[in-house]
Amino acid sequence: MALATLDAIILQAFPYSETSKILRLLTPGHGVQSVMAKGARRLRSRYGGILEPFTDGFATFYLRQNRELHTLSDFELVRPRQALGRDLVRFGGASLLAEIMLRTASEEAAPEVFSRVRSALDRLEAASPETVEATALAETWALITALGFGPSLDRCVECGEAVPDEGELFLDYAAGGVFCKACQGGGGGGRVLPEPARADLRALSAGVVVELPRTGAHWQLLSRFLAFHLVDAASLRSLDFLYGARGAQ
Amino acid sequence: MGVIDELTAEFARLPGVGRKTAARLTFFLLKRSPDEARRLARAIDAVADRVRHCSRCGNLTETDPCGLCEDPRRDRSVICVVEEAADVLAIERTGQYRGMYHVLAGRLSPLEGVGPEDLNIDSLLRRLVGSTGGKEVQELIIATNPSVEGEATALYLQKLVRPRGVRVTRLARGLPVGGDLEYADGVTIAEALSGRREL
Repeated sequence: MALATLDAIILQAFPYSETSKILRLLTPGHGVQSVMAKGARRLRSRYGGILEPFTDGFATFYLRQNRELHTLSDFELVRPRQALGRDLVRFGGASLLAEIMLRTASEEAAPEVFSRVRSALDRLEAASPETVEATALAETWALITALGFGPSLDRCVECGEAVPDEGELFLDYAAGGVFCKACQGGGGGGRVLPEPARADLRALSAGVVVELPRTGAHWQLLSRFLAFHLVDAASLRSLDFLYGARGAQ
Repeated sequence: MGVIDELTAEFARLPGVGRKTAARLTFFLLKRSPDEARRLARAIDAVADRVRHCSRCGNLTETDPCGLCEDPRRDRSVICVVEEAADVLAIERTGQYRGMYHVLAGRLSPLEGVGPEDLNIDSLLRRLVGSTGGKEVQELIIATNPSVEGEATALYLQKLVRPRGVRVTRLARGLPVGGDLEYADGVTIAEALSGRREL
């Protein structure tokens, strides 16, 4: 047992009893950890209003092996992200990133994933209203790639041969990438990707924000791809919320 | 399971009550006269039987519409939107507000699977088209909690309501009365600064 102070992003915060909160924290060295913040819901709590989803800070708690819930001792604010709640697509996008992390949660060290989530939240917050949807898409695809199940777009998932940049190819959701012309594919769920769509997806997977005239098709593609790669992804609730938020904007 | 264990287990399901407190409550009741225990049982029974949600505002009530909705002295041109029925009590305790209420029964939280369709938003929109006793609603005060999710809920409501020509306001945020600036957290101070007002 050791008192540890860790870089942490609050992925989720929910009430526990009359006065406390349970937080799901993303840390670089210990993956996702759950902590209880006692007294955090009191009006004059020492934590004040900082224990909110997407907040970035230093969390101090006794890290005990084989324990599912730790007790938070201190949380030092580095970056509040209240502004994400002031725009529905930003809020939905940040929630989607958090939900993907919670669905793939493990306690293993993943510093690159932590950095990816941190920069994704920063970029979502800073994006202009015109690019916020494309930014949410780019950051989600980039996170999926950082987690190790991003789509293979440059090599055939069957034979491993490099595929040409030109022409349309079949993207197989279950196989996790494109099939070359020789291997064909298409037995499972998937769709034909025209050349520009593949270029956009390649850029998005690298976290590059591109101009997307039809974001609806991209959200649909993301939703179907995730359905094959996340447990129970059919009910990815943040994605449903994002669909609605796009209409409400 | 004996009746003592059963009652203890039921108490332990209440918020903030652990096994020890539950056992203490059970033995407290057993030490009192049987009439006292029966009175408590009757009160719980009556609440379960009679309390329901007001069909207009969503508040908890014994009569439908609730006393607040039926009170002719209240200002029907203002509706204060809150997350939970307990928030109505909190605002009523101030004695400063004489308008109407609307209880959403939650706030938007994609991570917890709460979307707009899970909240009492449709009934709120229906109230805005003149079904509140003949007097048109002119202002909606959004009093959702000052959290990221409460803020998103407020924004969602604002986008729905503003095109209908209703003024939308939000409760102010900042330092608690009697608090020390020195001990306030950064987020609260930042909110207080951005929401500062002319003296």
